[in-house]
Amino acid sequence: MIAPIEATGLGKRFGSTWALHDCSIRVPAGKIAGLVGPNGAGKTTFLHLAAGLLRPTLGEIVVFGRSPQDQLLLLLDRVGFVAQDTPLYAEFSVADTLRFGRELNRRWDQPAAEERLRSLDIPFGKKIRQLSGGQRSQVALALALGKHPELLLLDEPVARLDPLARREFMRRLTEAVADEGSTVLLSSHVMADLERVCDYLIIIAAGRVQVAGDIEMLLASHHLLVGPRLNGQVRLSGAELVKAQHTERQSSLWIRGAVQALGPGWREEPLPLEELVISYLSTPEAGTQPRPELEEAAS
Amino acid sequence: MTWVTWRQHRLEALWALVLAALLGGSVGYVALQLSIAVGQCGENAGLGYCLSGDPFGRIAQALLQFHLAQYGLVVLPALAGAFIGAPLVAREIENGTQHLAWTQGVTRMRWLLVKLVLVIIPLIAAAALVGCLEILFLNLQGPHVNRWDVFDQQAPVVPAATLFALALGVAFGAVIGRSVPAMAATLVAFVIVRVGIAELARSHYIAPVIQTTRDLSALGKQADPTAWWLGFPNYYDSTGQLLGNLLGPNTGPPSYVIQYFQPGDRFWAFETIEASILTGLALLILAFAVYWVTRRAS
Repeated sequence: MIAPIEATGLGKRFGSTWALHDCSIRVPAGKIAGLVGPNGAGKTTFLHLAAGLLRPTLGEIVVFGRSPQDQLLLLLDRVGFVAQDTPLYAEFSVADTLRFGRELNRRWDQPAAEERLRSLDIPFGKKIRQLSGGQRSQVALALALGKHPELLLLDEPVARLDPLARREFMRRLTEAVADEGSTVLLSSHVMADLERVCDYLIIIAAGRVQVAGDIEMLLASHHLLVGPRLNGQVRLSGAELVKAQHTERQSSLWIRGAVQALGPGWREEPLPLEELVISYLSTPEAGTQPRPELEEAAS
Repeated sequence: MTWVTWRQHRLEALWALVLAALLGGSVGYVALQLSIAVGQCGENAGLGYCLSGDPFGRIAQALLQFHLAQYGLVVLPALAGAFIGAPLVAREIENGTQHLAWTQGVTRMRWLLVKLVLVIIPLIAAAALVGCLEILFLNLQGPHVNRWDVFDQQAPVVPAATLFALALGVAFGAVIGRSVPAMAATLVAFVIVRVGIAELARSHYIAPVIQTTRDLSALGKQADPTAWWLGFPNYYDSTGQLLGNLLGPNTGPPSYVIQYFQPGDRFWAFETIEASILTGLALLILAFAVYWVTRRAS
């Protein structure tokens, strides 16, 4: 099966800065994938490359087996995109915004889009600038869903919303894609937004992919080991060190791979997903390309 | 795409229509009053002298006096470039809505071309219409009118200048990505190019005619009111020594004068050449803007 998004060795440079570097990502079909990383990690750049808004400096990205740069017209009907801050035309009314979607898309489901907004009690006659942030993002979502995209890309869609609106947005999003079986790639710098809805995670920091995989796989393959203070190098077999932290009396090791027996006094502690993500984000140099076994397990 | 373009630019369309109608209306109105005056006083009545003293004639006189059409026809193309051309792409980039527009079902190329055609064509048509009214207005002033004085206000040059200003605006808007700086850049570039062409290039489109005359009583427009007289007359004494452009108490008696001019029958050739230059530049700039939007902008 063709992966909705497959990037190999993807790099994008702006001036002298690499926004994205040697990035290989495979987003499996039918998943809600989260792209998590701090601000400036390269999330927007990656999504723009996938949406055909940017050209890669290096490497290749294919969406449904096609290049979003050179064969965009073949993809536009199949890929929905919600840009950062959910841009809409402020002077358009809600009805105008839906008409905008209808006029510009060959594939467009007007009744579904209207129904979606009606169920949220969003008045069609109001101008976009008169809507609340939550309503605005819902209109943007309805516009992107109007063409029944097989792949939906969302760039920090809830970053500016209050917690209630965040939850409502995520609920509507998951409902919609559950009905249609679409693949979603959703970026955020807040893990809590993603944890509830995603089943696949790509951790990106400093322009590089740190790790990627099914959330269950990630949880199963990462461990937090706590034991007496280590003074030298630690030898790991069948595992890699993601992050190490030492206090006066004890050391904590975040590892990827098999659980290690490091000697007396060592124990494994629960590693919640948010902790796992932070261990990568706080030490971006620890990241490597997604490991083959994680890739296989994920697909 | 047609509806989207209309929905986004209908306010600008209204403004353009109002201004073009005001300008065209005033030129047409003065032309009408002049034609009535010509009927009353004959061909050589001269500009405005024979306008009737009734309120209608007075309004026409006032319009003539303030040179409304002369200024309007030079300034409005520049304003179209700054206020309609520059924000065309820049406003989208400013608000981030280009990411919305470019991820719908149409390519950037089509998005931009439809916008350009639907916005530019009506404006050029309006400019051409007002430029033609100005020609009509000049025709009413008899065979001795000097068209070169209002070179920039007549038909082929006015729509070409409008296209040029719009092209500058679109290109600056696309590259700069912010409306206000793009508007400023458009105005500055428009003025520099138009003044540069008018002052440095225009008189050289065709080599000027050299006239040597010993009749010092009728120089320049007195010799031929329909010609474009270039520079000042050059006075020479009988030995062939150049005395200068002005005669003072210390210069000797002039013997003959050499003058350069473009005859009146070359006027339409010059209009066509300048309109072609502006159109050519505009098309190059538009091609660059299309390249930039489709390949470089993000």
